[in-house]
Amino acid sequence: MKKVTVQDQGLVEKTKCHAAAIGVAMKESVYPLTATVQYPRQRKKMPDNFRGYILFDPDKCINCWECAFICPANAIRMKEAPNKKYYPTIDYGKCIFCHFCIDSCTDSALRTTKIHDVAYKDMDEMVTLTEEMIEPPEIVREDTKLVEYLIDDKDLQIKKTREVDSLFMDEVPPSVEIPVVSQCIDGASCIGCHVCEYVCGSGAISSSIANGVMNMAIDTDNCTGCGLCVKECTMQILKLVRK
Amino acid sequence: MHDADIKACEEVIKMATVAESKWEIKVPDKPLKDKLYFENLKSVVIDTEICSRCLTCAAVCPGGITVVGDKVDFPDYETKCLDCGACVRVCPRFVYEPLSGMGSSTAFIAGRSNRFAGQDGAMVTELIVSAMEMGIIDRGLFAGRNENWETEMFHVRDPEQLAITTLSGTKYTFADVLPELKKAVKFTQNGVGVVGTPCIVSGVRKLQQEYPIFREKVKLVVGLFCTENFHYSAISQYLRDKGVDFSKLVKTDITMGKFIATMTDSEVKFKVKALEEILPSGCNVCCDFTAVEADASVGSVGSVPGFSTISVREAIAVKILDYIKEKGYAEFGEGDPGQLGFLVGHKKKRAENLKK
Ligand SMILES: Cc1cc2nc3c(=O)[nH]c(=O)nc-3n(C[C@H](O)[C@H](O)[C@H](O)COP(=O)(O)OP(=O)(O)OC[C@H]3O[C@@H](n4cnc5c(N)ncnc54)[C@H](O)[C@@H]3O)c2cc1C
Ligand code: SF4
Ligand code: SF4
Ligand code: SF4
Ligand code: SF4
Ligand code: SF4
Repeated sequence: MKKVTVQDQGLVEKTKCHAAAIGVAMKESVYPLTATVQYPRQRKKMPDNFRGYILFDPDKCINCWECAFICPANAIRMKEAPNKKYYPTIDYGKCIFCHFCIDSCTDSALRTTKIHDVAYKDMDEMVTLTEEMIEPPEIVREDTKLVEYLIDDKDLQIKKTREVDSLFMDEVPPSVEIPVVSQCIDGASCIGCHVCEYVCGSGAISSSIANGVMNMAIDTDNCTGCGLCVKECTMQILKLVRK
Repeated sequence: MHDADIKACEEVIKMATVAESKWEIKVPDKPLKDKLYFENLKSVVIDTEICSRCLTCAAVCPGGITVVGDKVDFPDYETKCLDCGACVRVCPRFVYEPLSGMGSSTAFIAGRSNRFAGQDGAMVTELIVSAMEMGIIDRGLFAGRNENWETEMFHVRDPEQLAITTLSGTKYTFADVLPELKKAVKFTQNGVGVVGTPCIVSGVRKLQQEYPIFREKVKLVVGLFCTENFHYSAISQYLRDKGVDFSKLVKTDITMGKFIATMTDSEVKFKVKALEEILPSGCNVCCDFTAVEADASVGSVGSVPGFSTISVREAIAVKILDYIKEKGYAEFGEGDPGQLGFLVGHKKKRAENLKK
């Protein structure tokens, strides 16, 4: 059998290490560095893209169902509202907070907050209806201090300030995007069902009948490139192209 | 990204200027002027009982044409029909000029696949799978079935899927081939192969005639010889009454004027003529036995038992058969068109039913 021996570091090196350890111990006794956040009296500063409770703005929703389609946990159900439009509801019993819904939302109708502390009495209550998603939920703030973790290449620093952080993001800055518009790539295969025209929220698609021929057109100036018609087209002949 | 790359991207974006998108659609004729197109279809085809239940209309209808009971229908069409006219444009029986006879034929052969088991010589399966191997298509639509012998459509994308033995073989009940074809056209990269009775083949051709998307994507159309097909509710009831136990049923066949239901432990046999009482009205006016519009048509009459008869029509079918020969995937023999004479004539006579 082979005996494992500790490598001898030599007296100088050993002394250095011990001194460093004593140094840390002394520093801790004077100014203790605790990583624990004393929630709820203190609150950790969350990044602006924190994946928290989701808010919804019906005025911005274009009824594309993208959020419901993309949700990997099947937490989103679309429900008919009195205005005959379908809006999302979220079951927080299922939601895994991936925020794919928010990422997929074309018109930023869904947005994140830094709220992570909502309590429910039972599973049913976790099904959050559209109307409950418009305003943030009621939460009791007991925190007086804001804790920030500052990580540099050497060490973790903890900064505590007497501050109450806002849990809401500022208006989401519009992403810099390449403008696109909808185009018909195979007009001869169009069945003339007008589905595209019905779903287009900006009235960019028009049709008229004259002499037994229906004329369809997409007005590229009005088209916002939302892609709703592309998704709904019965024959899948519409496509988004760069403007 | 490097500055140079960003510049290049910007150039591309600038180059792609978009013209206004404008297109035209021909508006189909409406015999009943102030009615919806669906009402036209209903009064011309469905209510006159000449509808073949091919479901070409349902394949294109964005509203909701479907099968209710045994009939093609559109629940709530008053509010849901978009009045686009696609259904009457594609319905092979809206302006019905029955096809009949043998159709053009470049070769009339018999074949038996060495790789697959099927109804007869499994040449339908062989044609589709070989086309897939050749890269002509990336999926073939098969009418499979569940344990109750209800048809279920299946996209075959790999020959290994044929391990599901219920995919080949004849089901004497209608299958929803065309609505599935619409989906297949949406998903395919290379092309789709489709199999069907003559009415389904006519539906495919009509879709191709009207809409380029089907011309581009549907690459192979295999027809089946067909005297008639049946509604599931009617035939399943009939067979149960005859003592057929569906849980043991392995094959149904019509040969020499007899319907034969083969079960694991017994067999039920009776004259096909007896089925006349449940003959669908659409089949009663159908004159096409050999699927004259198909790229190739396959049936059992015209060759010895165990072989499929193939009427080869289009170049694409010739090409696939050459490939099958070259690979030695099948045995070939002579087909005898003379044997089809009786059934072809029998179906031609059905044109008289149309006048009634
Ligand atoms: C309703 C019906 C009636 C027929 N009547 C006759 C006849 O009178 N005389 C005759 O010679 N031949 C008839 N045939 C054809 C015959 O039964 C065989 O299908 C044909 O010979 C091909 O055999 P195979 O072994 O080459 O095919 P297989 O390799 O066994 O493949 C059969 C193919 O048919 C498809 N199929 C099965 N049932 C249906 C269905 N209901 N709808 C659409 N596709 C289906 C399957 O998806 C499969 O692709 C009929 C077929 C059908 C479906
Ligand atoms: S992509 Fe353009 S044309 Fe299509 S629905 Fe959106 S705004 Fe309308
Ligand atoms: S949805 Fe598609 S098929 Fe229907 S009218 Fe618009 S472009 Fe044509
Ligand atoms: S929506 Fe169009 S295809 Fe469907 S029934 Fe009405 S007219 Fe026919
Ligand atoms: S014949 Fe075919 S397309 Fe015409 S109404 Fe009947 S199912 Fe529809
Ligand atoms: S006889 Fe065959 S091809 Fe003709 S309508 Fe009936 S199922 Fe279709």
